[in-house]
Amino acid sequence: MRRKRSVVTDRDTSALPRTPRARSKTPRPASAAVPRPASTPVTDPTPAVEVDLSVDLAPSRPGALVLRNPLLVASGTFGYGVEYGEVVDVDRLGAICCKGTTLKPRVGNPPPRVTETPAGMLNSIGLQNPGVEAVLEKYADQWVRWQVPVIVNVAGESVEDYVAVARKLDGQPGVAGIELNISCPNVGKGGLQFALDAGAAGEVTRAVRRATDLPLLVKLSPSAADVRAIATAIEDAGADAICAVNTLSGMAIDRHARKPFLGNTYGGLSGPALKPVALRVVYEVAQVVDIPIVAIGGVGSLEDVLDFLMAGACAVQVGTALFADPVLPVRLIDELDEWCATRGIASPREIVGAALPTRRDRPSVKGVEYRP
Amino acid sequence: MRLFDAELLHGREILPGQWLQGYRAPWLATGAAPGQFVHVRTPDWSGLVLRRPFSLNTIDRITGEVTIHFRVTGKGTDLLARMHPGDSVGMLGPLGRGFEIDPRSRHLLLIAGGLGMAGVRCLVDEAIATGRQVVVVFGAATAAEVYPSSLLPDEVEYVVATDDGSLGHHGRVTDLVTGYEAWADQAFACGPEPMLAALARLARGRDGRLGVARLGRKGGVRAAPLGSAQARRASWLQVSMEQTMGCAVGACLGCVVMGVEGPQRVCREGPVFAPDEIAWPESA
Ligand SMILES: Cc1cc2nc3c(=O)[nH]c(=O)nc-3n(C[C@H](O)[C@H](O)[C@H](O)COP(=O)(O)O)c2cc1C
Ligand code: FES
Repeated sequence: MRRKRSVVTDRDTSALPRTPRARSKTPRPASAAVPRPASTPVTDPTPAVEVDLSVDLAPSRPGALVLRNPLLVASGTFGYGVEYGEVVDVDRLGAICCKGTTLKPRVGNPPPRVTETPAGMLNSIGLQNPGVEAVLEKYADQWVRWQVPVIVNVAGESVEDYVAVARKLDGQPGVAGIELNISCPNVGKGGLQFALDAGAAGEVTRAVRRATDLPLLVKLSPSAADVRAIATAIEDAGADAICAVNTLSGMAIDRHARKPFLGNTYGGLSGPALKPVALRVVYEVAQVVDIPIVAIGGVGSLEDVLDFLMAGACAVQVGTALFADPVLPVRLIDELDEWCATRGIASPREIVGAALPTRRDRPSVKGVEYRP
Repeated sequence: MRLFDAELLHGREILPGQWLQGYRAPWLATGAAPGQFVHVRTPDWSGLVLRRPFSLNTIDRITGEVTIHFRVTGKGTDLLARMHPGDSVGMLGPLGRGFEIDPRSRHLLLIAGGLGMAGVRCLVDEAIATGRQVVVVFGAATAAEVYPSSLLPDEVEYVVATDDGSLGHHGRVTDLVTGYEAWADQAFACGPEPMLAALARLARGRDGRLGVARLGRKGGVRAAPLGSAQARRASWLQVSMEQTMGCAVGACLGCVVMGVEGPQRVCREGPVFAPDEIAWPESA
């Protein structure tokens, strides 16, 4: 496989605020392997007026995926970025993760596909999409014109599928990165099984890593028996970042018709109900990997954002909450900025991992106890 | 499409469990067309994660008032029904593609099953304002669920069918439609899917029954592409479909119905469709 020297995204990143500090000198607080930053004076003693919200989601590829702020929109909830039109100022977002994209077009699952549940919702879209070529043809021109990076969410049924889609995305103008969806519960074959087995997760990540130099994010499932093993395999296979989590499999009943409500019977649970699960996954993964973690699951307020940052994520994605309030991510950016500014915190990076066990604490092994 | 707050002006229970509410929404009233809908957000404290879509039942461009008509089916609609005049809700709209009225149509047939009245009601005012004649054919299970005629303008001819025969025709709305198919230039329907499927079948046979020959099809004149405004306008029947929704702007693909050319988003390609765009279930 031909390796490229640099990442070709055709995106002008010069306009983006770059991290003032040299990457190598910034300890990764999310990591248990690297000493925590408590000893390093990252905070200016005087309260900072300017808050630096930028985050680098691919530190080993300098400049390739530096977001202006840590608020992303989650795959499947924001289409291809164009649907909300003038309602949302997309260029304010940290990044957009587009709808799951496959090699061939997919018609998706039979309707109904969504229903509300206590503190959440179920969806069984089944990865409906026109296929990677049509997606690029339809939307890439628009993506190039935006400042906001667009990360293409990639799904498949086999390692070959994932690799083929990644090859087509490689070097395409407007594509800022790849989010490997190895955790979709709504497709029969493939999908989820890659996220449940460390060997398979490592294999698909490594194969895609070889196929492209684009920043590579891999999205975890909350259903894995031990997310730490999966996350470690993904990091070892060369991923730039880990996204956690996708939806949890669930179902609903149509009592009137006495049958499952969703056309596909099963659907993925998202929304506030998923948040504690996502928080647990982020907290566990943050203790075993050094690469950045992007948290997903029930983010709906500044408090949720702070919780995820403290659990070890350096950015968050907003999904289901967009449906009630499409402008929420933009508001959260401002709220996070203000929260930091009033506390003299120069960057949200300073609180990343603040709630993780310190090195002197015993390593967290509690997780093993509650698992079936 | 815009996000805005709308103030509740009045609301009342017009039928058991069915509410009619008027909101002050001037921006919506000027920009919306019959057949379009709004996505309504229940109050923040409700803990509900999804908005609720409602057809625009009436639109008053002069006073800036729009009404919605809904049945209380769960927590969201229950909360809405309990609101007081002066309370506000968040709205996103207008959304979707509305009905296509052919400028040459003089006689409009509106067909509603139960709550489907909310889907076609808006056309009544539109038609009268433009000097057209309107017949509303309405079907319900029983007399107690029949939409009050007092809520329709006097100019409307209102024909009712009930499943149990307790009011009007004993049977289905579809039985009544054949009586008007020659008179009506265009028909617009909203209601349960089996009713729409039956109407679609009925509409397919209409040309044959009336002995209408469609001229110019085989020659150079190409039919407008499926789903285009022209094709819908040329279709004798248009149906307004329902589906559970997430985003209501076309982003989540949650609201699809199966079409002959693949899944169609009710919120974007719909809610109004020409019946030949839809892949109706075989059994219907
Ligand atoms: C309607 C819908 C469609 C989704 N489609 C995808 C998808 O195509 N690919 C993917 O990786 N995740 C998909 N997801 C999962 C979300 O990206 C996200 O991981 C999940 O919803 C949890 O976040 P939330 O609670 O903020 O919604 C979808 C979620 C919803 C609600
Ligand atoms: S409700 Fe999201 S696509 Fe229609």
